[in-house]
Amino acid sequence: MPFLSHGSYRIRYELDGPTGAPAYVLVNGLTQYSELWGTYREALSARGFRVATFDLLGQGASDKPRLFISQDDQVAALRLLIDELGDGPVFLSGISFGGLIALRYAIEHGKRLAGLVPMSCFAELSPQLLLLGNALRTGLILGGTSYLQDLLLPMNLSDQWLKPLLDKLDSVKRQGWLVNDVYALQNLMESFLDFQPLTPHLSAIAVPTMILNGEFDFLTPRGLHETLRVEIQNSSLVIIPRAYHAFTLEKGTLTADLLARFAEDVLAGRWQGNQAVWVASDQPGGELTPFPAGYDHLRAIPVKRALP
Amino acid sequence: MSGFLGPVAPDGRIPPYQQTKVAAFLISAHGALARQFAFMLPARLDAAWQTELNAQFYRETEIVSLLLRATSWVVDPSLGYMFASWESAWLPAPVEGIADPRLAQMIHLAALAHAVHAGIRPAALLPIEANAQDPFVMALRRIEFESGRLLQAQILFLKSTDLAPHRDAVSAALAQRHAGVRKLWRELLESIGIGAPPA
Repeated sequence: MPFLSHGSYRIRYELDGPTGAPAYVLVNGLTQYSELWGTYREALSARGFRVATFDLLGQGASDKPRLFISQDDQVAALRLLIDELGDGPVFLSGISFGGLIALRYAIEHGKRLAGLVPMSCFAELSPQLLLLGNALRTGLILGGTSYLQDLLLPMNLSDQWLKPLLDKLDSVKRQGWLVNDVYALQNLMESFLDFQPLTPHLSAIAVPTMILNGEFDFLTPRGLHETLRVEIQNSSLVIIPRAYHAFTLEKGTLTADLLARFAEDVLAGRWQGNQAVWVASDQPGGELTPFPAGYDHLRAIPVKRALP
Repeated sequence: MSGFLGPVAPDGRIPPYQQTKVAAFLISAHGALARQFAFMLPARLDAAWQTELNAQFYRETEIVSLLLRATSWVVDPSLGYMFASWESAWLPAPVEGIADPRLAQMIHLAALAHAVHAGIRPAALLPIEANAQDPFVMALRRIEFESGRLLQAQILFLKSTDLAPHRDAVSAALAQRHAGVRKLWRELLESIGIGAPPA
């Protein structure tokens, strides 16, 4: 198990796929750990990418700072990992909290990237997200990691995914419960106490950016992704049908295919952001469909978009 | 080396020699915290935050009482030496950079409690096959759950703005305590055939 060193901290990482190939770096969500990217490692390696995954500070096998974890340290750890990858093209993707860290990296070191894929992401804490985050933190404090998982599972995954697992949820939760510690998760959550919105800095991201948002994501709903689409000029927004916040877990094959296609298109010079809005297919390999012209993609019912 | 207690008996119980060692360690650590909270607890409370001292004292005492009753004890001659080394490790240590002895003592106690509550996860040692109806298994789960709650007082104190001017001293004391407690815990687990997670 290799580790990077950031000051006195050790960051556990893993590299797969051919050395010298274009690389994908995948950044965990807040309660995740690097093994959850297994489907992506396999699929992206098979498509010729090198894949880098790691545990953020406070997660899994990386060091868990005891009192404070700063998001600056997470960006610094990510930078160390990307530096390990040599000079070839690097595509960076992250889910939720990991998407935020990826955005921060892209704002500060965007020139190092060939492409960026924020997923279920946000650049600011809307009142809903702030209050949900506070409630989740309280849940963690009062009920421990297991209760936090109990809250997150139904919020972030579909009935179709949950139904066959209803009588074995304890085993679904077990690995996450084992590798995550209450104080470390709490420190990760409390890294938002001095959070400043990234929105004013998003326009600094010039790299091709594909924003992925689940159709039914109510933790980080469409409006938060819209901020990214509007502020990042070379971007497009892709809506994943029938997906919730944690679609990277639920629809791994589909999402890995979208990541690979995005990178292949960028490398071939075919990709154009145009701040367009697309709807992904239900199946890997399916075509992206433009969001119907004239309709408002921020609404859940077919409402005509107001003309400028 | 397994990462979990066991192999469990056919009825899902943890082997008594493992129960004995794990319970002895936890009784030593939580008992030391109970004694030190009792020492800090005034006969009459004169500040709101001291109500938490009272709560911490009784929760720690409850953990000791629970383990004494829920554990299947066996005679273990090696415990005498180990117990002595644990007890000496919990003694108050000076906090470098803090001149005020009362503040230093509070930081020491909070750091020790943080290290025990955050760093020791006894329920994470339980294998899937452990019998959920067994009192020792339930005791480990309760202790880990309760530790997560008790920890909040240490987090609030150690992160408080009052201690902001002493942040480096606090962080150093906490790191030292975590390393010490985890080392003892790791050694104990190795003595019963368990490979503990890295410190």
